[in-house]
Amino acid sequence: MKKVEVECEQCGGQVQVPKDVIAGEIVGCKDCGSEYEVVIGAQGTIELKSAEQVGEDWGE
Amino acid sequence: MRLTIAYDRLRLEEKLLLEEAKAMNVEASMEDVKTASFDLTAAECRSDVVLQRCISHVRGLHVAAAYEGMGARVVNSSEVTRLCGDKMLATIALAREGIPTPRTRIAFSAEGAMQALDGLGYPAVIKPVIGSWGRLVAKVRDRDEAQTVIESRRAEDPYDQLFYVQEYVRRPPRDVRVIVVGDRIAAAIYRYQPDGDWRTNVARGGKAEPAKMSGEEQELVLKAARVVGGGVLGVDAMETEKGMVVHEVNGTVEFKGAASVTPGSIPKEIIRYAMETAKR
Repeated sequence: MKKVEVECEQCGGQVQVPKDVIAGEIVGCKDCGSEYEVVIGAQGTIELKSAEQVGEDWGE
Repeated sequence: MRLTIAYDRLRLEEKLLLEEAKAMNVEASMEDVKTASFDLTAAECRSDVVLQRCISHVRGLHVAAAYEGMGARVVNSSEVTRLCGDKMLATIALAREGIPTPRTRIAFSAEGAMQALDGLGYPAVIKPVIGSWGRLVAKVRDRDEAQTVIESRRAEDPYDQLFYVQEYVRRPPRDVRVIVVGDRIAAAIYRYQPDGDWRTNVARGGKAEPAKMSGEEQELVLKAARVVGGGVLGVDAMETEKGMVVHEVNGTVEFKGAASVTPGSIPKEIIRYAMETAKR
């Protein structure tokens, strides 16, 4: 599967994102472990934002 | 029929549901609700049916209601989500319809909580009314332990001042998770507690195995699903000397653990049920 690489804002490492990623998918930086949520822009651009922390109302 | 899978954190479950919908030639779209907004006064919706799959209970409840307001059918409905997302409301629904469930009390202060626990006897279990994955669930062996847990609750959080306390049920080192889709059992697994933990949640490392249930037990679980309003549900039950007791019904069920050890396609059953719901 083809991937694009986006720079990790925490450590500068390369976060790999599958090209067929779905908005909201969680990806991680293999270097520092930071978790990011994928944001897909109107032009199909892939950006990362820090993933939400686990909330007290999270679950099933 | 147009299907929307609404979510706020994409898990394997949501991806499997989308894949299955495509395989069944269902017109399906994904909606990350965090990047969307909803017109509550428009009464029009692009979707006929919505699978509400938010990981946040509060968000999911309001997303379900918003879609319903716009005229879509939602699985699970906001009412089912409301009951299942609050352990106290679910206990009331189960008990009222005669489903065997652990003895449970609710109190609204630390003093009331100690009174409730003393009434139940020890050991006992203290749970948050909202939350999942066994988080902040505490087994207390005696009054001293109970006091420590109760005092650790934060006074500033209104939900932390709801003290939902339950008898500790003696059971084998496992419980039963049954995934109910409509009026059918899609999968049933035993969840074994991991070493060093009394909780069985797969999220805590609990191991899964296919479960064998009697016809009577299956009937009980299906009835439990019906009394909270029905839909796509995860019914949790324990085996006791006096028979099965249902302790929880989950409204946004995670099924990757069950899917890995049981035959049949859970996503396929869910998509089929959603499409049937849209036609009603």
